[in-house]
Amino acid sequence: MSQINRLPSGARIDSSVAVKFTFNGKQLQGVAGDTLASALLANGVNVVGRSFKYSRPRGIVGHGAEEPNAIMQIGSGAGTVPNLKATQVELYEGLEAASVNGWPSVNFDLMSITGWFGRLMPPGFYYKTFMYPAKLWMTYEHFIRKAAGLGSSPVQDDPDSYDKLNQHCDLLVVGAGPAGLMAAREAARAGARVIIADEQSEFGGSLLASTQRIDGRSATGWVEEIVAELNAFANVQTLPRSTVFGYYDHNFLGILQRRTDHLVLRAAAGARQRLHRVRAKQVILATGAFERPLVFAHNDIPGVMQASSVSTYINRYGVAPGNRLLVFTTNDNAYQTAIDWHRTGRTVVAVIDSRAAPEGQLVAAARQLGIQIMAGHGVIEAQGGKRVKRALVAPLSADGSEITGAVQRLGCDLIACSGGWSPAIHLSSHTGAKPTWDQNIHGFRPGESKQQERSVGACGGSYALSACLAEGAAAGAEMAHLTGHGDGILHFPVPEAEEVQEQPQQALFLVPHTKATSRAPSQFVDMQLDVSASGIELAVREGFESVEHIKRYTAMGFGTDQGKLGNINGMAILANALGQSIQETGTTIFRPSYTPTTFGAIAGRDVGDLFDPERYTAMHRWHQDQGAEFEDVGQWKRPWYFPQSGESMLEAVNRECLAVRNSVGILDASTLGKIDIQGPDAAEFITRMYTNSYLKLAPGKCRYGVMLKEDGMIFDDGVCACIADNHYLMFTTTGGAAGVLAWLELWQQTEWPHLQVYFTSVTDHWATATISGPNARKVLAKVCDDIDLANNAFEFMDWRDGTVAGVDARVFRISFTGELTYEINVPAHYGRHIWEALIAAGEEFGITPYGTETMHVLRAEKGFIIVGQDTDGSMTPADMNMDWVVGKNKSFSFIGKRSLQRSDSVRENRKQLVGLKTVDGTQVLPEGAQVVFDPQQVIPMSMQGHVTSSYYSANMGHSIALAVVKGGHSRLGQIVHCPLADGRTIAAEIVSSVFYDSKGERQNVQ
Amino acid sequence: MSSNPVNITVDRPLQYFHSLSSHQTDSQSTDIFNGDVDFGLVVKEAPLCTHLNVRGSAQDQSFVAGISQLLGVALPTEPGTYHCNQQQAIYWLGPDEWMLVSQTGAVELEAALRKTLSGHISIVDVSGGQTLINLRGADSALRTLLKKSSVYDFDSWPQAKKEAGRCAQTTFAKATAVVSNKSDGSFDLIVRRSFADYIAHWLLDAGQEFGCRIEG
Repeated sequence: MSQINRLPSGARIDSSVAVKFTFNGKQLQGVAGDTLASALLANGVNVVGRSFKYSRPRGIVGHGAEEPNAIMQIGSGAGTVPNLKATQVELYEGLEAASVNGWPSVNFDLMSITGWFGRLMPPGFYYKTFMYPAKLWMTYEHFIRKAAGLGSSPVQDDPDSYDKLNQHCDLLVVGAGPAGLMAAREAARAGARVIIADEQSEFGGSLLASTQRIDGRSATGWVEEIVAELNAFANVQTLPRSTVFGYYDHNFLGILQRRTDHLVLRAAAGARQRLHRVRAKQVILATGAFERPLVFAHNDIPGVMQASSVSTYINRYGVAPGNRLLVFTTNDNAYQTAIDWHRTGRTVVAVIDSRAAPEGQLVAAARQLGIQIMAGHGVIEAQGGKRVKRALVAPLSADGSEITGAVQRLGCDLIACSGGWSPAIHLSSHTGAKPTWDQNIHGFRPGESKQQERSVGACGGSYALSACLAEGAAAGAEMAHLTGHGDGILHFPVPEAEEVQEQPQQALFLVPHTKATSRAPSQFVDMQLDVSASGIELAVREGFESVEHIKRYTAMGFGTDQGKLGNINGMAILANALGQSIQETGTTIFRPSYTPTTFGAIAGRDVGDLFDPERYTAMHRWHQDQGAEFEDVGQWKRPWYFPQSGESMLEAVNRECLAVRNSVGILDASTLGKIDIQGPDAAEFITRMYTNSYLKLAPGKCRYGVMLKEDGMIFDDGVCACIADNHYLMFTTTGGAAGVLAWLELWQQTEWPHLQVYFTSVTDHWATATISGPNARKVLAKVCDDIDLANNAFEFMDWRDGTVAGVDARVFRISFTGELTYEINVPAHYGRHIWEALIAAGEEFGITPYGTETMHVLRAEKGFIIVGQDTDGSMTPADMNMDWVVGKNKSFSFIGKRSLQRSDSVRENRKQLVGLKTVDGTQVLPEGAQVVFDPQQVIPMSMQGHVTSSYYSANMGHSIALAVVKGGHSRLGQIVHCPLADGRTIAAEIVSSVFYDSKGERQNVQ
Repeated sequence: MSSNPVNITVDRPLQYFHSLSSHQTDSQSTDIFNGDVDFGLVVKEAPLCTHLNVRGSAQDQSFVAGISQLLGVALPTEPGTYHCNQQQAIYWLGPDEWMLVSQTGAVELEAALRKTLSGHISIVDVSGGQTLINLRGADSALRTLLKKSSVYDFDSWPQAKKEAGRCAQTTFAKATAVVSNKSDGSFDLIVRRSFADYIAHWLLDAGQEFGCRIEG
C-alpha cells in the first residue's frame, strides 16, 4: 500500500525521509515527523481497532490524547507497551504496531458477532447477566476479558530503565501552546525559575497545525523563535514529550517525560522515561481544549473525525485522510477545515451547519471558495461499513432538537465534525476545583482555584488566538511577581495575531434522528467503551440520577481516554433526560493520571539492588569471604551462620553452638542500636524510660533494662552503661534502634523539656566484636594488655576502657549466651582490624565465628527473650517472668508503670513465657505453632498459647522451645499439645524457660 | 595505653568502591570500558578525619564564643549554614546541634572542647560512623545527580564562599546525608558508614549517564 493520502507538504514533516513500520504485520511507510496515526491515515488505513463491547470497526478520530479508538500495542517481547494511542506515538524506523482489539484481525473480527446482538447488551449488561451464580464469575470474567481485551502486558522483565528527578521551580507552565509559551517567556524574562512541559514531541500546541499568522510570521516560525529564546534562559527548563499527569496537594505535580520512546536505539540513550516530581510555587495551566464530537447515528464509522484533527493532519502532517469531505459543525471553526481541505484540491461536498444563518468571517471565506453551505441542517446518520459511504442530512429546528423536513443522502467518505470546544480542565479538577458550566462557551470552565494555580487560554475558555497570547503573557508576569520576580506588569508587547470575527456556536449535544433515540441506530457518546445516547437514557429510566452513578453503570468515561471527547455530550444528554440543567447535573471528577503512566517510571531506580538500602557492618566483607549466609535484620545484613563446606544449616549451627559452650566463639554485634546520652539529667531520664533504676549506676558499670510503652507492654530491651558522670551509653535491639531514639526524643521534647539531656546515635560509630565462651578471657588477654581481666577486677556487668590490638576500645563484660563474654567496641574504621586480630588470637582455641542463628539458640537455652520474637507488643515484664527487672520503689514513675496495674495486666491466665520440652526430643516444634491442652477437643480447639522460639539444642541434646501459654507459670510439668498443619500433633512438657545453667554460673566464671 | 600499634589496618567506608566507575553503555559497541573516558562526575572519599557531634545552647554566649575562640571558626547559628577554615568545618544540623569535622584528632579535640566549654553540652565522637565524600563535575550533571537523589532544593542555595556555605541534613536516596556546597562548585556529602555501600551503588547508578567514578 502506498501513501495514497500523502500531500506534497506538511509543516512539521520531512517527506524526503521515509520511515518504515508495520501495522498488524503489514509493512507500511511513513515519513519523518509522522505520528503512527498520521502515517496510518496517509496509507489509507481505515480500521484501526474494534470497539470494546460490540466489536464494531473503528477508525482514527482525533490527533492527540483524546483519541478513543486507535489504541495500539507497540513493539514486541519484553519491551512491548500496551494501550498507546496511535495519535501520540511518534513514528520511528522499524516500529511495530498492532491493534489491541480484534481477533483474528480488525478487518475480520469473529467477535463482531456480538455487534449483531448489540441490542441485547444494554448498560449494566455484565452486571445483570453474569451476577448468578456467583461462583461462576471467575469463568465469566475470563471469557469477558479475553473478548474485550485492551492490550497485553509484557510477561518478561522490563529491559528499560526509568528514573526520577525532584524539581523545584517558581512557575510550572503546563502546555506549550500560544498561552503557555507566552506565560513562560514573560516569567522567564522577569527572572523566575520556570519549567514548561508539553506532551507533544515539540512545543507549539495548536500552532503547529495553524494557518494563522503571528506578528506577520507563520505560526510555526513564531514558535521556533520563542522556543529558541526559552531554551537560552538559564532559569528555564523546557520539557517536550512530557505529560503533566497529576496535580497533587501543595502544588506538587508529576510529569512523565518520554525520553527514548521515539528512538530506534533506546538503550544507548539512558532512562527510557523520567518522572519529574515538581514542587512549584505557582502553576499556570495552559492545557488547551478538546474539540467536542457530535452525537448522531453511527457516528463511529471509520471516516467520522474531529474537524480540528482533519486540519491538523492536513497542515501539520501533510495528510488528507479521505477524498470527499463533509463538514458538520455548530460553529465557525470547522469552516477552516473545509478551507484547508479545499486547498488540498480534494472535494468538499458541503458544510452542514446546525445554525440557521452562519455569517462569520470564515463562513464568508468558505462561501467565496464556492463551498456549499447547508445552514440549519444536521447530519443525522452516517452510513457505511468499514468506511463512511454517505451521510443522511436533514433540516433541523432552530434549537436543533427536531427534524423539520426531508432527509437527503450525501455521498462522502469523510465527515469532519465540530460540536464546539471543551476546555481541558483535568489538572484543575485534580486539585479539587469544582468545574462550573459556562453557558456562553457551552462548556465547563475550571472551578475556583484550590491551589496556587491559574488556567489561561483555551483551558480557561478563551479560544481566540489573540486572547490566548495576551492572557498567557499577563499570567506569566503576574505569577512571576507572586514568586518575587518582576513587578507583575507586562513590559513587552504581546504579539499580534489576526482577529477572526466569529458568530456564537450553537449548543448541540445530541443530533435528532427520524426515530426516537431508543430506536435509532446507536448514537455513540463514548467510543472507547461503546456508550450510546440511548444507553444513558436507559440508565435514567432504570432510576440512576447521579452523574457519578451513570458513569459507573454505563462505563462512560472509564476508558484510557477518560472520556476526553464524549463526557460533556454525555452529561448534557443525561441532564436532558433528567429534565435539569447541565450545571445541576455536574460533571464527574477527573483524577490522576491524565494519561496512563508507566509503573516503571513510578518505581524509578528503586528497583533490584537499590530497592531498599542494605546496611553492612565494618566486618561484612570478612563474613562474605568466609561464605557466611546472611539474614535480614531490619535493613542490616547480619551473618546468619557460617557453613563449612558441605555443611547443612543445622550442622553448622550445632557446631557453632558447641564451640561457644566448649571453647570460644565470635559474633559480629555491630548492628545493635547504640545511643550516647549526655546531660545533668541523663540518669533521671533513663530511669524514667526503663522499668528499673539507673540513678546509682556507677561509671564502669552496666545494667540490663526493659522499656515499656504507655500501655505497659515491652517495647525494647538492652544494656545501658554508665560511661562517666552524666554520660551513658544505651544499647537497643538491632531493629528497634531508630524507634528507641525517636521515643527518647519524643519524651524529652514534648513532655520533659526541662530535663537537660542530649541523645546522639552512635550505632554506626562503634563496631562490635563479641567473644563468648570459657576461653574468651584467654583470647582477649592475647590482644589486650592494659585491662586487668581478672574476674574480681573486671566483673560481670562491668565495662572498661583499654586497647585491643592497638586500637582504643571499650570492652563490656555482658552476655547474651550465658557464657563468659566480652563485647569489644572500637570505632568502626578499625572494626575489621580487631576482628581479624581476635580471629588470629583465638586460633589456638579454635575460635569459631557464629551468626544470629547460633546466638538465638544459645540465648534460648538460657531463656533470654528477644523483643519482637518472644514478645509481640502485648507482653508485660511479668508475662515474661521478668518481674525482677521492674523497680517497685522508684521515686519517679516510669513509662508504662500505671498500666501494669490495669485489671487486664494483673488478671490470671495471661499468656506467660515458659519453656517447652518435646516428649520426643528429636522433634522440633515449628515457631508459631498453637498450644492446646486437649488434642481430642472438637475443632475449633481452645488455643491456649503459641510457640515463640524453637530450636534443636546441640548442647542439651534435644529440642528446646519457648512459648507463651495461658497461666503458664503455674503449669510447670503439665503436658501440652501442638497440632500442626500437616496433621501431626507434638506433645511437650511445660518446663522452666531456662534450660541451661540455671544458676548463671558460667557467665560469672572465675 | 598499650604499646602495640603494629600494622593497624583502617577501613574507609567506601574503600571497596575506590576506582570503580559507571558510564553510559553504547549498544553499538561492546568495548569494555578502558578508563580513558572523561567522567562527568567524580565522587572522592576524603581521608578519614574527626567527626564530632556537638550539642549545646546557641543562646549560651560562653558556648558560642568558646567554640569560636578554640577553633577559629564562628559557630554557625543561621539554619542550614556551615563555616570553615583550613583545619575544620562546622555544620549547623539543628537549633542546638552541630557537626564538627576536623583534622585534629578526636580525643585531643574532644578534650580541648570539654576544657573550654561548661554547662549542659554534649560532645560525641562519631568519626567511625561516617565519611565525607566530595562530588564534583559538570554543573548540570552534578545538579541532576542531586535532583535524582534528594527532594531538597539545592538550586536555591547561593554560591558558597571559601569560608562559609549552605548545608542540609536531608534524605539522600533512601538514606540520609549532610549535603553542603563548596566555593569551587562541588558538593560535600557526609554519609553514614553502614549506608555507604548503598550510597556508592546509588551514585554510580545515578551518575551513569554522565560517567561516574569513585576515588579514594
